[in-house]
Amino acid sequence: MDAGRNLLPTRLKGNRWLRRSGTLIGFLIVVIIFTLNNPSTFLTLPNWLNISQQVSMLAVVAFAMTIVMVMGDFDLSVGSMASLAGILAALLFRAEQPLAVGILVALGAGLIGGLINGLLVSYVGITPFVATLGTLTIFSGAAFLFSGGETIFGRDIPAEFSGFARTGLPIGTVNERPLLFPAMTILALVVLGIIWLLLEQTTYGRRLYAIGGNAEAARLAGVRVRLLRLIAFMLTGLGAATAGLMYASRVASANPTQGAGLMLDAIAAVFLGMTLSEEGEPHVLGTLLGVLILGVLDNGLTQMQVDSYVREILIGGIIIGAVTSSSLSRRNR
Amino acid sequence: MRRLSVVLAVLALLLIGGGVLAQDAPTVAVITPYLAQPGTQFVVEGFQTAAEGTGWTVNVIDTAGDVAAVISRIEDVVNQGVDAIVINVDPAQVAAGLEVASAAGIPVFGMDAGSDPLLVTNVTSNGYAMAAETATYVADRIGGAGRVVMFVFDPFPPVQKRGIIADTIFANNPDIEVIDRITPDVADGGIADSRAKMEAVLAANPEPGSISAVWAAWDQPALGALQAIEAAGRQNEGIVIVGIDANPQALDAIAAGGNFEASVAQDFAGIGAATADAVARVLAGETINQRVIYVPTVLVTGANVAEFLGD
Amino acid sequence: MPTLTPLLSIQHTSKTYDGTPALVDAALDLMPGEVHALMGENGAGKSTLIKILAGVVRPDRAEIRIDGQPVSIHSPKEAYDRGLRFIHQELQIVPQVSVAENLALSQPYPRWLGVLVDWRKLHQQANRALERLGISHIDPRQSMARLSVGDRMLVKIASAFANSTQAASIYVLDEPTAALNAAESQRLFAVIRELKTQGCGILYVSHRMDEVFEICNTVTVMRDGRVISTQAIQQTSRGGLIRLMTGREVSHAYPPRTQPHGQQVVLEGHGLLNGVDFQVRAGEILGIAGLAGAGQSELLKAIMGALPATVGTLSLEGQPMTPAHPADGWEKGFAFVPQERREQGLVLSRSVRENISLPHLRRLSTSGVLLDVGRETRLADDLSKQVRLKATSNRQLTRQLSGGNQQKVVFARAMAGQPRLLLLDEPTRGVDVGARFDLYTLIRQASIDGTAILLASSDLGELLGLCDRILVLRRGRGATVVKAAGLTQHDLLALCYG
Repeated sequence: MDAGRNLLPTRLKGNRWLRRSGTLIGFLIVVIIFTLNNPSTFLTLPNWLNISQQVSMLAVVAFAMTIVMVMGDFDLSVGSMASLAGILAALLFRAEQPLAVGILVALGAGLIGGLINGLLVSYVGITPFVATLGTLTIFSGAAFLFSGGETIFGRDIPAEFSGFARTGLPIGTVNERPLLFPAMTILALVVLGIIWLLLEQTTYGRRLYAIGGNAEAARLAGVRVRLLRLIAFMLTGLGAATAGLMYASRVASANPTQGAGLMLDAIAAVFLGMTLSEEGEPHVLGTLLGVLILGVLDNGLTQMQVDSYVREILIGGIIIGAVTSSSLSRRNR
Repeated sequence: MRRLSVVLAVLALLLIGGGVLAQDAPTVAVITPYLAQPGTQFVVEGFQTAAEGTGWTVNVIDTAGDVAAVISRIEDVVNQGVDAIVINVDPAQVAAGLEVASAAGIPVFGMDAGSDPLLVTNVTSNGYAMAAETATYVADRIGGAGRVVMFVFDPFPPVQKRGIIADTIFANNPDIEVIDRITPDVADGGIADSRAKMEAVLAANPEPGSISAVWAAWDQPALGALQAIEAAGRQNEGIVIVGIDANPQALDAIAAGGNFEASVAQDFAGIGAATADAVARVLAGETINQRVIYVPTVLVTGANVAEFLGD
Repeated sequence: MPTLTPLLSIQHTSKTYDGTPALVDAALDLMPGEVHALMGENGAGKSTLIKILAGVVRPDRAEIRIDGQPVSIHSPKEAYDRGLRFIHQELQIVPQVSVAENLALSQPYPRWLGVLVDWRKLHQQANRALERLGISHIDPRQSMARLSVGDRMLVKIASAFANSTQAASIYVLDEPTAALNAAESQRLFAVIRELKTQGCGILYVSHRMDEVFEICNTVTVMRDGRVISTQAIQQTSRGGLIRLMTGREVSHAYPPRTQPHGQQVVLEGHGLLNGVDFQVRAGEILGIAGLAGAGQSELLKAIMGALPATVGTLSLEGQPMTPAHPADGWEKGFAFVPQERREQGLVLSRSVRENISLPHLRRLSTSGVLLDVGRETRLADDLSKQVRLKATSNRQLTRQLSGGNQQKVVFARAMAGQPRLLLLDEPTRGVDVGARFDLYTLIRQASIDGTAILLASSDLGELLGLCDRILVLRRGRGATVVKAAGLTQHDLLALCYG
């Protein structure tokens, strides 16, 4: 009974809280297990700074992916866009263009790629799956074409560019080595802040959630669905290009396939985050938790010397388990 | 409470993994993005076999093609405090990780990787020499004249340098024309896509004798090309196929006496063993001055293939 | 009568969801040849009772007898086998296949040699089923997806009456006329009367008083999960029923116009759709009547800018305008209450507050970008009070509200900022009595405040009770405009047919 639900006793509200926080609790249990197994290394500041840096690229892609997933869409092309952005920047560096030119062109490619995705989805009316599957292949092909298939590395990549991934704010010393708060982490946090503000505090974000809930109702309530969708895809493309630059900086090279792994992990992170919300909507802070879960599992399981293939099976199982239990409990209420 | 059972499963697996850590022997982490490839498997197995007698704990980590993840895993094992790290990836791409290891004073060894000032040493076959062996074999075999198809893979530096040597040798023979320089899609290991690409080349060059040889930078494309030639019924045109690495399938093909005539056997197990030896020397306090340690290779043809088939 | 065995007898039936009682010791007897109205506000327990009968919901406790035999119903299949037939509010159809196939969904298709579908026979069966309802304009071979909402409902109703393999004696109709126009409703009533003479029993759920008084013998009223009363229809009155349902006094008359409307023409249209001309003045309520699919919704959407291409011209206070998107409509001070509140009106996964503020976000933000949640909350609070919304707070999800309260949220959104023009498409469909009169009061108040109103409705009583003039549409064409005063429902229906 609809009317009955308004009068839920507090006991049930408590259960609802528990259901929503299941993924968070699971995460804390994993952290506790890792801490017990690696008492001297896991729950330490250097290790967590280390994890934060490792997940920073995935985090940026996943935060950006959250924007389109709020509308119920997704973007499969983020990984190949990241590769393409890295290649474009590296080629310009090789041509001895200034750092800023390479970075701006790469980010511009992200916006244009997103514009193409947005036009296809919003105005041509192709489903996001097909449209972005198509552009995934196009961006990847372009990355191969521009780079001639080779890895651009070594002296072609300026030290200031690759140095970014290794610098940070000094925040103390550990074992007489300076402890840095990584620049990559700071960048990911800035992106997080911007996207949180955008999605949760602006009229734009509010309208995106309305589109995700009921696009037709949103349209009839005066939301310019097509335009906002187009912009969302552009922002996601921009995020993917940013992550591509971060990746290129971290590996001090650009390779036409290097971003490929980011897409599925990013979608997985958003899905993990969605289990935290009552209505199963993506929120960027939930995505952050999803990214951390993936990163912490990688880090902790490596330290515990769990076979890398077992690790992948575990991660897949955890994603399915978390999403299943959250959707089951939603259905059973 | 379905989630609970997932957590319990994780817990159980973690405890199994955790048991290994209890020992006090030196721990060596072997990190590679390429474990799915046969060559890498032999190298790693060679390393593990050589390490068996030493009492080390060897932790093999595969990042399934993700190079940035290699950096992350290096950071993780540095944090864990391993005694030595062995990598099988281009060191220039993981420099960020090497710097972390170096700052922590943990030695890093290249195993068929590439040389880098941050590596103690790199143990490998001489890629230039291998490519020179097969390319000159082709040039000699077709009498310095003919039309050649090349299969290359420039994104991976060790394979890329093979292509460059072959380019040079073919270019030095004015009557050899490279009619196609193909980069196959290696997602499936390289055979299937190479076969498809070769079929296209065969279709474009239908006259018998219009293709003299196929030079492949590693064995899988050579095998794909062989399949395409046989499927097209053109195995009697005298097209010479050569590969590099001498993997078991390639050895079988050479032994069968068809178009696949030659490959170069890297001593993968030897590379692994030599790396283990280098690690042992450094752990014992010795300093290694050689930036690169080369392990010899052998050209495999119908004449000597029997020696390799036994392995 | 009392000596007869009831066809269906329900005693001591209870159901609790999550600790909240939805049905408490309910009891009801359905006699042969009886049309038994089941009334109550949304959330009173009617749906739970019906779902228990249909085998969809498992009761905590129940004594159900059919023809005096105790039964328990565990699945829809069992309900079907025991001779129960249901027509639900939500249409269960397969839009991709033909009308005939939809009619045959719950029974085996006629076969050739046991294998091939005998399409001719299937279509004959379908024709017979439709004829019985006097429906001749629906081709059984047509795809279900191409039918209007009203026609789909007719097919659904026909399918409940069509199946001949199993004798049916008990029909449960849950707001069957919600999507039907007056003529279609009359045909349905004819079928109901025929079933009645055959000795079938009909349990009839409706919010519409006129219907209940027209075809029912007995009426049972539920409130808060309990059966409040069961009476013969002659012993009761509209006012009495409303009192029983709501537990309070509600004026059941349409709130009358207390002052004449203004003279200034707010919106004028020429040549819209297939040729609709109209004028609506400040404070005037212009009704839009017509048979189902005559273009009522399309006209409102065209004015709002929600149709892809619009023919004809519009002028707003003398200035020509061409709305290209609903956003243009809202910007001009138009407000829209669409027909399907769950599909077109609300974002069910979001809160009351966010649904109210959605078209007004620009005004509720700093420089059009940063949300001012304080202002938004105040607006939502004020409007919730104005529309007498029953919700735990304005942060409650709209999914959790009853139908009437959901519609109040859509109204609250439309009332925000005193619209110049209010476009209402079936504003009270599926809304319970209490909420319905709250909505009528709101519409009247808006008209007193000077808002020009276009009201499309298939409820002729509503049109006559509220409107100043009524625009009658026929096939997308404006047939005539009549003054509402002095008109009867019969006159209006005649105009709809032309």
